Amino acid sequence: MNFWQRASSIDRRIIFILLFIAVVIPLIFNFKLPNRVTKEVQAVYDYIESLPPGSVILMSFDHDTATLPEMTPMARALLRHIFTKGEKVIGTAFLAEGAAIGNKAFKFVSDEFGLKEGEDYVFLGYRPEISSAILGMGENIARVYPKDYRGVPLADIPLMQQVKNYRDIGLIISVSDNDSPNAWINLANARYHKPVAPAVTAVMATTYYPFLQEKQIIGMVPGLKAAAEYEQLINKPGTATVGMAAQSIAHLLIVLLVIVGNIGYFMLKRRNA
Amino acid sequence: MDVGTWIAALLTLAIYSFLYKDNPFYKFAEHLLVGVSVGFLIVIAYMDTVVPKIIDPLFVRHDWLIIIPIVLGFLMFFRFSSKFSWVSRPALALLIGFGAGVAIPSIMQSYILSQMRATISPFTNINSLGTTINAVLIFVGLICTLMYFYFSKKHEGTVGVAAKIGIYFLMIYFGATFGFTVMARISLLIGRVGFLLSDWLGLLKIS
Amino acid sequence: MLFQFFIPSRPSVRAYEMVVDWTQTIAIFTLLVGITGMLKYNLEKVSRKKSGYGYNIVTIAGVLAMALTGLIWGRSEGTPFVWIFDHVQSPMQATVFSLLSFFVASSAYRGFKARNTEATLLLVAALLVMIGRVPIGDFISSYFPKIANWILDVPSMTARRGIFIGIALGTIATSLRVILGVERTYLGRS
Repeated sequence: MNFWQRASSIDRRIIFILLFIAVVIPLIFNFKLPNRVTKEVQAVYDYIESLPPGSVILMSFDHDTATLPEMTPMARALLRHIFTKGEKVIGTAFLAEGAAIGNKAFKFVSDEFGLKEGEDYVFLGYRPEISSAILGMGENIARVYPKDYRGVPLADIPLMQQVKNYRDIGLIISVSDNDSPNAWINLANARYHKPVAPAVTAVMATTYYPFLQEKQIIGMVPGLKAAAEYEQLINKPGTATVGMAAQSIAHLLIVLLVIVGNIGYFMLKRRNA
Repeated sequence: MDVGTWIAALLTLAIYSFLYKDNPFYKFAEHLLVGVSVGFLIVIAYMDTVVPKIIDPLFVRHDWLIIIPIVLGFLMFFRFSSKFSWVSRPALALLIGFGAGVAIPSIMQSYILSQMRATISPFTNINSLGTTINAVLIFVGLICTLMYFYFSKKHEGTVGVAAKIGIYFLMIYFGATFGFTVMARISLLIGRVGFLLSDWLGLLKIS
Repeated sequence: MLFQFFIPSRPSVRAYEMVVDWTQTIAIFTLLVGITGMLKYNLEKVSRKKSGYGYNIVTIAGVLAMALTGLIWGRSEGTPFVWIFDHVQSPMQATVFSLLSFFVASSAYRGFKARNTEATLLLVAALLVMIGRVPIGDFISSYFPKIANWILDVPSMTARRGIFIGIALGTIATSLRVILGVERTYLGRS
């Protein structure tokens, strides 16, 4: 078997090991690479910066634990920015696991700022049937969520006295690994004209560029790199920033493997012709 | 390092053992995952939906009108009977009808009218050769992509050429999506490896 | 729902709110039906001692452990429910999806060949986005992120828009068929 035959038929277990090494080495040696901020992430940051203090933002945790490594850094970075600005957050979830994830995210970040649940943020919990819930909240949030995640009636929560429906909300952020942001865009934005910003897993990124161009969304935070960009913008590097070198080297490895595979393919094709 | 971290790490390694081949450790972990996920759903469904939407309205607020959707909802369980599955149809019809009615105006607005406007609006913003080329590419690309999905006419002649160009645009889209998919999966791998190296083995410190 | 969008009078808003509430309540039962179906399948396998039923016992044990701890001790931080979520469910679920990274790398190496124009376009777009959208791309050359961003903003976005419009037309057509009673397959009849 000549070199190119060997190069285009590497055992997949060797590829697995190479990929594992490509991720481990940068993590252990903690390489740092400069990370340019993209316009869609900058747009979300600028929009939150432009909101007056005391504005209320609705953040929906529409993802499950499968994408936690990607979504947690961006959710935390967004919450840190929002709380630093003195803005309030109402949390919802339209996937069951999002309920536990959202609650943890709020607790984790609010503890850093010494914030009080019920006054600075409220987590409402899970509801099924995202379309009816989004439409219902447009008229009256308390009809969809009579109580919050802790079981406290909304009538007894100070923050909810000033928030009845979307009119009282400045921005909707959907932290999602599925097409939930589409529901927010189609319903909350199209019907109630609320600004929406998806914070999505990288797989979903290409889906939202048409909405970005038409300004149906004010910006977007797609993937771990975007989370690292946001951490850079708020000057609080976290797990996303640490992962960027590993992400880069892993991508480089896959690109090299594809190029080698293609060169091998063409060399063999020419030889057999 | 606590018991929880060890359990998480061992279960992580059990799942990763699938990379070598399917084995009882992987199967055990996989079935356990399915079980705890459903158990989780039961708790969340009860606390976040059954209590506030059924128990409280009926037994606390005495909103008797809620009995109608509750009865309709119970009828859904007849799906399990091959003889009486027709009983679940009214509830299904309400859900599907709701979805259909909501979909039409919202999708017309977001997916068609707004997107058509966005295709034309770059022509109102032309200030250089680059923006001109982009505007033309967006317009031509959209027409050609839609021509590819138009199957009422055979793809030959002008329609064939347009459909071919549409395929090229679609291939670029699929390639970009694949690139992002790779990024997403690698991110998940980085997260898990980070957990194993920092939380479990203590080889590095990740905040 | 369709008419209410265009006729937002007080009675139509009341009807709208009622339908939205009822849909939420009925949707709860679709969840319960799914859970019941899953439990039924596993219990049947165990009761009939079908091959591999030991794993189904593990599944049922997982369901009981999670459900009972949550319903008895609640779901606040520090409870057994949250402990199982943090140390069993979350790590395993994240790991299952991270497995895909290995298979994606292997299948990209094996399957991504520039066999024809379409495959070459797909390949080149993928490689440029993979390099351009990570920090190392910018480090190698500032053109990589610019090209990647252009691909996302123009040709990729355009194709996605075409797909959206196609989906929209199909959804509207199907919705009209459902409303007019032409489409009844969701009821289980042919």
